[in-house]
Amino acid sequence: MTEAVLVENVHKHFGEVKALQGFSLYVQKGEIYGLLGPNGAGKSTLIRAIVGLITPDMGRVVVLGKTMPDKDILSKVGYMTQASALYAELTVWQNVAFFAGLLGCRNKTAIEEAIALVDLSDRAHSRVATLSGGMRQRVSLASVLAHHPELVLLDEPTVGVDPQLRVQFWEHFRKLTAQGITLIVSSHVMDEAERCDRLGFLRRGSLIAEGSAESLRQQAGKDNLEDAFLYFAEKSDVQQ
Amino acid sequence: MFSSSRISILARRVIYQMLADPRTLVLIVVVPIILLTVAGILIRVEPKDIQVGVVNQDEGMSAVNLGNQLVAVLKGVDAFKTVEMTPEEAARNLDDGDVDAVITLDSDLTAQVIQTQTFMLKVTYEGSNPTISKRLESLFERASAQALTGLIATTPQGGGTNQLETTIQADYLYGGPEYDTLDYTAPALIAVFVFLFVFILTSISFLRERQNGTLERLQATPIRPQEIILGYMFGFLVFALIQGAITLLYTVFVLDIHYTGNLLNVFVVEIILAITSVNLGIFFSTFARNEFQVLQFIPLVVVSQVFLGGVLWEVEEMPVWLQPIAQLMPLTHANEALREIMIKGMSLTSELGSIAALLAIAAVVVMLSARTAGRVQI
Repeated sequence: MTEAVLVENVHKHFGEVKALQGFSLYVQKGEIYGLLGPNGAGKSTLIRAIVGLITPDMGRVVVLGKTMPDKDILSKVGYMTQASALYAELTVWQNVAFFAGLLGCRNKTAIEEAIALVDLSDRAHSRVATLSGGMRQRVSLASVLAHHPELVLLDEPTVGVDPQLRVQFWEHFRKLTAQGITLIVSSHVMDEAERCDRLGFLRRGSLIAEGSAESLRQQAGKDNLEDAFLYFAEKSDVQQ
Repeated sequence: MFSSSRISILARRVIYQMLADPRTLVLIVVVPIILLTVAGILIRVEPKDIQVGVVNQDEGMSAVNLGNQLVAVLKGVDAFKTVEMTPEEAARNLDDGDVDAVITLDSDLTAQVIQTQTFMLKVTYEGSNPTISKRLESLFERASAQALTGLIATTPQGGGTNQLETTIQADYLYGGPEYDTLDYTAPALIAVFVFLFVFILTSISFLRERQNGTLERLQATPIRPQEIILGYMFGFLVFALIQGAITLLYTVFVLDIHYTGNLLNVFVVEIILAITSVNLGIFFSTFARNEFQVLQFIPLVVVSQVFLGGVLWEVEEMPVWLQPIAQLMPLTHANEALREIMIKGMSLTSELGSIAALLAIAAVVVMLSARTAGRVQI
């Protein structure tokens, strides 16, 4: 088994809104897969379907060999939500230890390491309420990494993060894949996408193009990813 | 300078926000009307029929029978209903709480009174509601005086004195003459506080869990909704029990209420009540989009139970159609059990009825909250 995530022909409707329309995706172990698309393209819905928060109307999702939803496999998954979901009245340490504990890790060193990884060791015992937005985002990241997951899903992890920190985040991500960890990162920032091994362009709940940044640019015959995205978007409109 | 246009712009925004929240509008109008209606009904309720048992064994003396005269006078009193009974019936009715007091008139009553020129009335009060006992005492004094006046008029022996002294020899099945209304209300108030605070704390924390997205993160971990509920229960139970212990000790030792039961029994009832409250909080948090809306559930969930749960008015005195509603409320059963335990010193096993009812309500509420705990959307 070399796939970390397998999404097969998934449909999901919310009332009139078709969030996912026959979506299929294959993510290999150890790669960074980028989900790229405008707001409302279905990135968050897809990620939530992968962690089993949403049951598809049709199709299936397989994560690390288990058909979702499967509660127990989640201890090998780290899911960082779009807005940093933390307990503001608790300290950095308490937050990280809480989520790590629920994910099956009660190892103090692992928690210390995760906090050190996001460079917050000196603020470990500060309440989250006293931290800046960027720091909270880092706490959030630490809380999905402490339990050493095999698959990490990051829903727009760098929104509201300053450029310097964004570079640091991507360095961490690269280090993680070196350990064989799989990352799925959603973003609507095109230059971030350059750093992914493979990219998927999302539009209106479908995958309109897939490949490395280089190959996508070549297929579209454009110089940058933004133009390439527009090219594939128009192409999919014509097909419909 | 004040700008009226700025003020009106802001006032209009407040009004628009309120209009955008129809539930709040309905609640601020409907809830007071419901509560006022209930309060109006309850305040006008006539106190339930007080029952007095009389065991009349007086054999009288030379055509005079003080016992019969007293019974006649008592039967003429409108404030309570007088029923003659045998000593055995009296003892049983008193135990069951069917009569509120029993007057025992001994066989040599008339003879004694004529001989000693004093009248001693033997009364046994049921005593669990001190207000009733106090009221009865003054009524008995008046009735005795009236019966004795008749005696003085009819007996040549008694004609010599104009005044016969009456003393009431009072006995209490539960409580005693030193019991007052606080003794009756305190057990219920302790229950109200436990319920109120646990409800507010859980519903707001759970609402925040939804608002901050932490509930979504919890659901992306192996924890099950049932485990979330149990975690909440144990976490808040700690505080409910600390609060319960402190309020209980304060009322017993500082406010000096009379107390006969076993402390541990009180805690068992409080634990079940707190579990119900935690789960009601989780359940109601599903219907609240913000802290405002949670606060509006307090009159609905808590104040209605204060009115109908037997805190201020006895459930048995309520109009028949209100009683089934009261029976659905957890506080009704908790109050019943706590009162029996604290005033009458009852054990848990003798209060199985109310405890079973409380457990049944808790079970239903746990099921409701288990269904809603998983909902991430606000």
